[in-house]
Amino acid sequence: MKMSAILKKEFLVFFRNIGLVMFILYAFTLDIYIAGKGIKVTPRHVSIGYVNEADNLIVNKIISHFHSPQFKKPKLFLSEKALKNAIYNRKIMVGIVFSKEFVKNLISGKVAKLQVLIDSTAAAQAEVTLIYLQNILMNFEHKIKIPANIDIIKLFNPNSNTKWFMSLSELMSNITMLGLILIAVVFVREKENGTWDIMLLMPVKGSIIIFSKILSQVLILMVGITISVGLIIFGIFNTPINGSLFDFYLISFLFSFAIGGIALVIAAISKTILEVAHLTIVIMLPLIFLSGAWTPLSSMSPFIQFLSYFSPLRYYIQATQDIFFRGSGFVDLLPYFGAEFLMAVILFYIGYRKIGRLF
Amino acid sequence: MEILKVKNVSVSYGKKIAIKNASFSLKDQEILGFIGADGAGKSSLLHAIAGVVSFDGEIIYKNYTYHSPKEAEKIKNEISLMPQGLGLVLYDFLSVKEHFDFFRDLRGLKKDEEYEKRLLKMAGLYEFQDRLAGNLSGGMRQKLSLILSLLARPKLLILDEPTTGVDPISRAELWDIVNEMREEGMSAIISTAYMSEASKMDRIMLFDEGEIIASGRADELIENIKDYTYEGEIESKECFSFNKRTYCLKPLNLKKATPTLEGVFFVNALKKGKKPIIFEIPKKQIDIPNIIVEAKCLTKKFGAFIADNCINLELKKGEILGLLGANGAGKTTLIKMLLGLYPIDEGELYLLGKRIKSYEDRIELKSKIGYVSQKFALYKDLTIRENLEYFAKMHGLNMSESSKKIKEYSQMLGFEEYMDNFPKEVPLGINQRFSVAAALLHEPVVLFLDEPTSGVDTVARSAFWKLIRKLKANMGISILITTHYMSEAEYCDRVAVLKRGVKIVDDKVENLHKKYPGLDFEDIFLNIYKEKQNK
Repeated sequence: MKMSAILKKEFLVFFRNIGLVMFILYAFTLDIYIAGKGIKVTPRHVSIGYVNEADNLIVNKIISHFHSPQFKKPKLFLSEKALKNAIYNRKIMVGIVFSKEFVKNLISGKVAKLQVLIDSTAAAQAEVTLIYLQNILMNFEHKIKIPANIDIIKLFNPNSNTKWFMSLSELMSNITMLGLILIAVVFVREKENGTWDIMLLMPVKGSIIIFSKILSQVLILMVGITISVGLIIFGIFNTPINGSLFDFYLISFLFSFAIGGIALVIAAISKTILEVAHLTIVIMLPLIFLSGAWTPLSSMSPFIQFLSYFSPLRYYIQATQDIFFRGSGFVDLLPYFGAEFLMAVILFYIGYRKIGRLF
Repeated sequence: MEILKVKNVSVSYGKKIAIKNASFSLKDQEILGFIGADGAGKSSLLHAIAGVVSFDGEIIYKNYTYHSPKEAEKIKNEISLMPQGLGLVLYDFLSVKEHFDFFRDLRGLKKDEEYEKRLLKMAGLYEFQDRLAGNLSGGMRQKLSLILSLLARPKLLILDEPTTGVDPISRAELWDIVNEMREEGMSAIISTAYMSEASKMDRIMLFDEGEIIASGRADELIENIKDYTYEGEIESKECFSFNKRTYCLKPLNLKKATPTLEGVFFVNALKKGKKPIIFEIPKKQIDIPNIIVEAKCLTKKFGAFIADNCINLELKKGEILGLLGANGAGKTTLIKMLLGLYPIDEGELYLLGKRIKSYEDRIELKSKIGYVSQKFALYKDLTIRENLEYFAKMHGLNMSESSKKIKEYSQMLGFEEYMDNFPKEVPLGINQRFSVAAALLHEPVVLFLDEPTSGVDTVARSAFWKLIRKLKANMGISILITTHYMSEAEYCDRVAVLKRGVKIVDDKVENLHKKYPGLDFEDIFLNIYKEKQNK
């Protein structure tokens, strides 16, 4: 009865804050879409220029491998200087100089050196373009020298479809941010509006108030996740799910409470919603960096890898990727559920103790 | 000679008109007072004159005409504005001396040692130059703000509610400073929420709902309404009664009385066709002990600061106890201890004869107390009905009980028509009454009201006090009410006055009148404060 009164009140307050509702909707739909569409690590329409000093057919053959959609039609430059200028003026991103020496060495089977100029301000794209280039050249070399080819088989995401990966990562990051903000704000708004005392004066146990308030926001998060997964992840990006959707909801629910624990700490020490925003950013960034959302855990230093065990987001992301891409079953996911549950209990306990002091 | 002329000035924020077509003029060395409730338009007009908000109309300072904040830039070195709020312009981590350095540099002034010394001495801050502003008392902060605004030797001083919530002695000192500067050729416009300060001004203007309803000398204004003022209080739908006087447009068969300035607001309301509300509160008998709340030597410390120092307080059955004191005197802290919101550092608290110690005791305590907080803080995103339903449910009332109670109270306290509005859409007076209803839903034995009348207009205030007295009489509940309007002591049965965390008076109102015959409460408390200071 008292719990339903609190839930009803929190929902009313939430839905009457049109600005907040719009922001949450944005974070769960358009933002995920933009992240999936916009963040590209594979080269797309990279502009290429080249200088052909050797004037040999082989050069044209190599160049013919650079085609759309990865690359724009390569542009011929008359001198190395003109090529450099074009890169400097951001007309093109990658420049290749085919010297006479290179062609000679290539044909005679000696070590052939190729000069490549790259605008590395778009670091990731430049890096990946370079690898592409190497592959193309290597393939080419193999074709004329060794009748062997390297076949690359991509696992789990066979088309290297980054939008599947990126949109899920963005969703996890947004759930983290919104979870922290929503749950902290539901307490701090009472402080800011001066209703905190009134809330404390209700003849209701503090634990019921705290739990109901968090539950109200967790439910809002769950609705947001449903909208995001249904509309963007499944609807627009056609992401397959190889595991069970129920497992995903379960881990999301556990994760919300782990985040809720951190949010309670924020709520306990903030007096205004502005402070909540500041603290959220300070706390959210390490959580995300340590989770493997944007950088694979395996490429982190051992110490950072160790730290990542303390990020509840780590287990959430791993479990989610396993559910969606690897199709892991409930039993395989148990370690993640266990770890996330443990994180939720510990963090919630800390947060509860911290805010409980104010009750 | 006229120093300022204001012609048809209006200020609006979006659709809301704060002040409409205000026109007046100010003479050299004159002190003009703006009197009215919060939201009556005083601040907006002051800000327009100071050139900090945009306005429609025309303002002429000496011979310079301006229509916008940009045009006002040229005269800003002759005008000084001190905004509302206790020491709002101060920085807690700067000392008094550093404030002088900062404000001098900010205004690009040359250091005038003699003048600064004089200002500090006037404010009684000469000995405290190294003290941080954060460690000054409320009154001292306000005096510091005032002398800082005098630093540039303004020709026109604009003070927005400089005395609200300030202790009586500091208030008297603030007025002394203003008067001394006036002797030297300064003019001032000062807004206030206290009617009693009208006597300190040369001329006053009364504000109500964005309009100037009267202007002139205080005695002239009072003279104007003497035909409508009668002795005693009556219950009528056509007359307002307040503070032992009745104001009525139609002739009554009662003895005439000398009016007070408050009467101007009542007569204005009557002329506008407004009618007083009559609260119908059913009589009820509750069976409770004679002493409701008893506090024994309650003490609360925040670090080294003692907010309340060993305060004994007793609240009897069916009594209105007024807890008075300036801002920072420890009123709110004491109430929060009595409510069980703050842990008690030392001392004992009893409710209905039972000692309150554990967490469970405190939950029990909460279900017997009704509380209306400062500024009537209720949920602004919920309508009045939703707010009341929430409170009813939280107190464990079921659906039918709650809707019955809500209907009953909304009729009783006269806000039925506003039930589906949001709190910010209705006047302050309605918010005040619906907050009381929210606090009464669970039938408490005692009602705590924290500054319920602050900023509320005169007519609503009189209605509120009537309601409080009726609740006491008919429902038999006890009421503890805090206020910084010393004059409101008149309507309490007993008053306790706090000064810097110490209780300096606790006596029945009639006894205080006997002790200081012929004085009103403003002066009674000024006397008591002075007596205590000399000791």
